[in-house]
Amino acid sequence: MTIGGPRGRHPRLQMPCLRKMERMIVSMQDPDMGIKMRNQRLLITVIPHAMTGNDIVEWLIQKYGISEEEALHLGNLIVKHGYIYPLRDPRSLVLRADESPYRFQTPYFWTSTKWPATELDYAIYLAKKNIRKQGDLIEHEKDNYNLLHKRINHTWDFVVMQAREQLRAAKQRRKGDRIVIDCQEQAFWLVNRPPPGAPNVLEQGPERRNCHTTRVQLNMDYYKREIEYCRKAMARTRVKSSICLEGYIKFNEQYVPHDPIMSGCLPSNPWITDDTTYWVMNAPTVTTPTKLRVERWGFNFSELIMDPLGRAQLLEFLKKEFSAENLSFWEACEELRYGEQSRIAEIVDSIYQQFLAPGATRWVNIDSKTMERTLEGIKTPHRYVMDDAQMHIYMLMKKDSYPRFLKSDLYKNLLAEAIIPPETKKRVFPFMRKQRHSSPSPALLLPAGDAEERGRSPSTAPVPEEES
Amino acid sequence: MVKEECKALLDALNKVTACYRHMVLTIGGTSDSQNLREELKKTRQKAQELAVANRNKLTTVLKDKTVSKEDKAEFERLWVIFSTCLEILEIDMRRALELGHEFPLNVPKKHLIQTGMSGGTSGVAARAMSVQNMKYEAERNIDVMDLKDLENEINQVGEMMYEMEMKVNVPQWTVEAKQDPGAELKSTISVGASSIGMISVEENKSFCDISKVLAGIVFSAVLIIAIVLAVCVVKLS
Repeated sequence: MTIGGPRGRHPRLQMPCLRKMERMIVSMQDPDMGIKMRNQRLLITVIPHAMTGNDIVEWLIQKYGISEEEALHLGNLIVKHGYIYPLRDPRSLVLRADESPYRFQTPYFWTSTKWPATELDYAIYLAKKNIRKQGDLIEHEKDNYNLLHKRINHTWDFVVMQAREQLRAAKQRRKGDRIVIDCQEQAFWLVNRPPPGAPNVLEQGPERRNCHTTRVQLNMDYYKREIEYCRKAMARTRVKSSICLEGYIKFNEQYVPHDPIMSGCLPSNPWITDDTTYWVMNAPTVTTPTKLRVERWGFNFSELIMDPLGRAQLLEFLKKEFSAENLSFWEACEELRYGEQSRIAEIVDSIYQQFLAPGATRWVNIDSKTMERTLEGIKTPHRYVMDDAQMHIYMLMKKDSYPRFLKSDLYKNLLAEAIIPPETKKRVFPFMRKQRHSSPSPALLLPAGDAEERGRSPSTAPVPEEES
Repeated sequence: MVKEECKALLDALNKVTACYRHMVLTIGGTSDSQNLREELKKTRQKAQELAVANRNKLTTVLKDKTVSKEDKAEFERLWVIFSTCLEILEIDMRRALELGHEFPLNVPKKHLIQTGMSGGTSGVAARAMSVQNMKYEAERNIDVMDLKDLENEINQVGEMMYEMEMKVNVPQWTVEAKQDPGAELKSTISVGASSIGMISVEENKSFCDISKVLAGIVFSAVLIIAIVLAVCVVKLS
């Protein structure tokens, strides 16, 4: 039931979860199967249709056959979205499973993405509250009031007029109804304009799917696509989860002694003791690596080749074996892959001259098929022309040179010479330990009250941060 | 003269819009009834008449080239108020249509939401129609039959607003409000016929509220007993 006006407003839709909640609320009204209502007594007025939190939870348990925890969670969602509001502590939209009273919200004030609460309405509400409370609004409401006065200044007279008239209209009703209407409005605006710090239930993150975008036409094309997709999914190779998990456990067992959080780090954690020796000793290029680092090189080939120190040692080893050109070729290909776009043709050419041309000085041993493909690709050079050749050489090094490296004397010497840093002695007197202090906040470095200047000259903002 | 007439018309429209919104609030709740639907129909028809009258008056004035600059600014301000009022009216009418569809009254299993409202809205409707008492003369299933009319009227209002936007060239951002923030408080205190004032006046008037009379009697009885006891204590000591 969508009426597109002559101005062609495209109709909004109600969020599906809200529609489900609405249905649930309607089923709670059933005279036989719904929730039992009680009366709320306020000094002299008696207002009907109140229920306790307990009633709600029990009804949910009975109707849907769920556990109490789940019913409480479900009830909490309903209260947070404003379909039921608490009577005793109206600012805290929580469902308490005890005798605290609650009441249903009128359908006009149901939370809705189809009819979002407008600024105009909020302004009218604040003006009404201002009149009723003689100017005694809550802090954030005062701020919003002033903000709205600026923003919709052109209709502010209307806001005041309408606020006065709405109050006068409400006076035509019974005292009990007036109280109910006030409570309803307050609950509505608590949900739609929550106070600062409270979670906004209507916030939809950017990834949240719109009911417009996920609507599909259930026609032949759709079903054909689904069938194709399912067929491909069945043909996928799968690994048994037992094997996956075994591999996962092995990985974790292997790396646990190397993880600074799980197994502590020697000499000491810099974040705790302000002692940066750990970082200095594990820098990419040091003269003597730590023992843990050298051990890691034995785990797998990528650990070795990705560590700058390890790569240097590998080069040394390969030089002794007269196959250093493999590593050089691999490094050159990496430079191609991750290098500048403008230099690609130049790099490809140099690689060809050095490594691939027949009779080149450092000719690499690639099989004929890969060589043919690479030479074809060189005619139209791009970032990934050397991928096949690079992979071939990588696997060669991994299968051939790497095991020998691990068994070599070079590696064994490295292991022997690697240092284990001693743990820093804990000081005897705890108050002698160096005090932890955080670096000064960048906000403090800017002079206070300079908010406008900060906006005007954003270039000054990064400078204080660099200094700290 | 023209300004006062325009203002009066606008105030009337404003009043009817406020009453209409108040009544739309109660649709679907426990004080919803056939009477309410009839009140809604009558109120919105009145609102539409007032809207048309307002539009005609304001368009003739705005087209008039002999109007002075301050007057023109004033009329533009009134125009902006008028168009905002009409927007609110249109939205409320659409919501009334949607809620009317969702909560039909003559169904075997009525599922009106138990909102805690027990009284009727006849006072509000009487205020909107500017009559003393409301007369109800519609058929039993006005809640369903009225919806078609409502749809047509919504389309009419929509078209009117479209025409207004196209034909009258009043940029909204040039209009400045006359009232400062918090103006509603100042005028309420000064004028005296304030809403707070009216609340207290009304409460004094509600002598027919039996519970209040009972409470008064109980309180005075307790007071008398306390005085008697105090006198006894004084006499005995």
